[in-house]
Amino acid sequence: MTFTEALKTAQKIPRNAKPFEVVLVCGFTPLHLQTYTTAHLHAVMQNRAVQVTPGMYGNMATTLEGLAKCGAHAVAVALEWPDLDPRLGFREGGGWAPNQVADALASAKTMLDRILGAMLHLPQGTRVVVSLPTLPFAPLFHTPGWQAAETELMLHQLIYDFSVQVARAGIAVMNPRCLDETSAPASRYDLKSDLRTGLPYTLAHADVMGAAFARLIAPPSPKKAIITDLDNTLWHGIVGEIGPGAVEWDLASHHRLHGLYQMLLAAMSQQGVLVGIASKNDPRIVDQTFRREDLLLASSQVFPVEVHWNPKSGSVERILQTWNIAADSVIFVDDSPMELAEVATAHPGIHCIQFPAGDDSAGFAMLRQLRDLCGKERLSEDDALRLDSIREGAAFRQAASGSEAPDAFLRDARAAVTFNFGTGHLDARALELVNKTNQFNLNGARFSEADWQELVSAPGALVAVVSYEDKFGKLGRIAVLQGQCAGRTLSLRVWVMSCRAFARRIEHLCLRVLFDRFNVDNICFDFIGTPRNGPLQDFLVQVTGAQVTGHDAAETFTVTREVFRNSCPELHHTILEIDTNEHAR
Amino acid sequence: MSMPDNIRTRLVECFQTIFPDIAAETIPSVSQASTPDWDSVAAITLVQVLEDEFGLELDLDKLADLDSFDKVLDYLRGELQEA
Repeated sequence: MTFTEALKTAQKIPRNAKPFEVVLVCGFTPLHLQTYTTAHLHAVMQNRAVQVTPGMYGNMATTLEGLAKCGAHAVAVALEWPDLDPRLGFREGGGWAPNQVADALASAKTMLDRILGAMLHLPQGTRVVVSLPTLPFAPLFHTPGWQAAETELMLHQLIYDFSVQVARAGIAVMNPRCLDETSAPASRYDLKSDLRTGLPYTLAHADVMGAAFARLIAPPSPKKAIITDLDNTLWHGIVGEIGPGAVEWDLASHHRLHGLYQMLLAAMSQQGVLVGIASKNDPRIVDQTFRREDLLLASSQVFPVEVHWNPKSGSVERILQTWNIAADSVIFVDDSPMELAEVATAHPGIHCIQFPAGDDSAGFAMLRQLRDLCGKERLSEDDALRLDSIREGAAFRQAASGSEAPDAFLRDARAAVTFNFGTGHLDARALELVNKTNQFNLNGARFSEADWQELVSAPGALVAVVSYEDKFGKLGRIAVLQGQCAGRTLSLRVWVMSCRAFARRIEHLCLRVLFDRFNVDNICFDFIGTPRNGPLQDFLVQVTGAQVTGHDAAETFTVTREVFRNSCPELHHTILEIDTNEHAR
Repeated sequence: MSMPDNIRTRLVECFQTIFPDIAAETIPSVSQASTPDWDSVAAITLVQVLEDEFGLELDLDKLADLDSFDKVLDYLRGELQEA
């Protein structure tokens, strides 16, 4: 992006939209970095009035300490060596003599501790991101440039110790190696600009840094699932022709790329990414191949498996139905361009990737692309449960459909539902659920951490995070409700429920618990129709008797206690209510 | 349109990018003294926009002298003729 393009983009931001305020904390003059960060953020948050304001020049720690009670949605910290001690940069005098460099090291430690303390005290719910020093040192070490000086290494050690601590605290750290690939280290520093204007970044580096900050502040939604082909994709060879014992993925066969792909899928499966198979093959032969002990992806890590000779678009259709997720959350990997085209045509939005069989360097890029598309900031215990819960959900639906009396089936399911009404701290999984759920979603609203914190900390606000398990297994946290009580009415502003939890009457239970716990006569729903929230619309129609008018229409529905009681089916759940602000009851 | 007029038109657009609240017809008369928004940040921003538009590398040392539309226009005409 040229600077003029960035400037014009920043000027197009709709000022009457909901604000999204970012404080850019850096010790230098932010200038073009501020413009680029604004422009790149606007590109990914077009419905918000992005405003990036700089902190105090030359004093990062003081700026950060002053933000302890700020109301910004995000704080971006661009750390550079002179922020730790001015002698590590070019603008300040003070000397580069060995004793002064040693002294700078000591003061850098003190300053980093202060910056760390200030960052840890930034308000809860504010998204905090940080870049580690990106610019070269001044020539202050005694070694030639190609040899690392001990003091230089100690400075790096200080930075890495610092970065580990901030990452542990949930602060997003810009990956220096990723940055190296997009902004060549030797082309980042502009001495003339630094000395004349106080901006040390070249324009190109400011552009890359702005884009990287935008991606950290508003990360893209990770893909939820991968559907993979088998022959010449998960393994090398056509298993139907050469047999289960002859397909290869090991080092000796020179087809290790397929083994690496298996390892990545296995790891992702454990991290909550769903893995399914769509292959034109003989199911008996595939089954035999999956029994090979050297396969690096276990059959238990894959579900569902569609192996037959019918079109793959149909296989993908059934897999998506089983997972109950939309095509645009899914990656389809196949070595055949024709299969990719057939699936892409039938499932607009699906991300198709051709497996580059026989091309290791393209394979390396593909593995990294898969990681980038599916990578998530943190793992939760629910991630480990996801595949099992979907497998068990399929068993649940199969058992339920075979039962003549749904009530008898649900009674025997031994369902236990936990309602956690705590609002005290940010539940990252709850916010993730709110921001990625489409089908059972009251209005499709998405929230930044700061937006969510503001919502739940308002006077009278209530939040319920709902967890579920039954004899088929644990589903983990599957629903989030947020609202406000006023007199005898409770207004629900947010209500999402994972599609894994459908058909268990949990939505009915949620309303019953809210009526009882808050002793209200009415529950109002801040509903907006979206192209995808049909399941929630159906439920609203069922419990309120009202008609939903259409997409993008904001409507308020109300259900009274009596109407709800009359429409509510029999519920068989065991309920546990917890208030982490108080105690279990 | 002659070359100098073309430079003038492009320069007006550059100024409009920096000062979107100033009308196009007023821009040729602006100077740093008459434009409160024309501060040091705007001056550096203007240099970058001019570099993008005209493909020149402007000398930051001349920044202090380029304090009006006319002076910037004269500077650009000189630089572009030399090029």
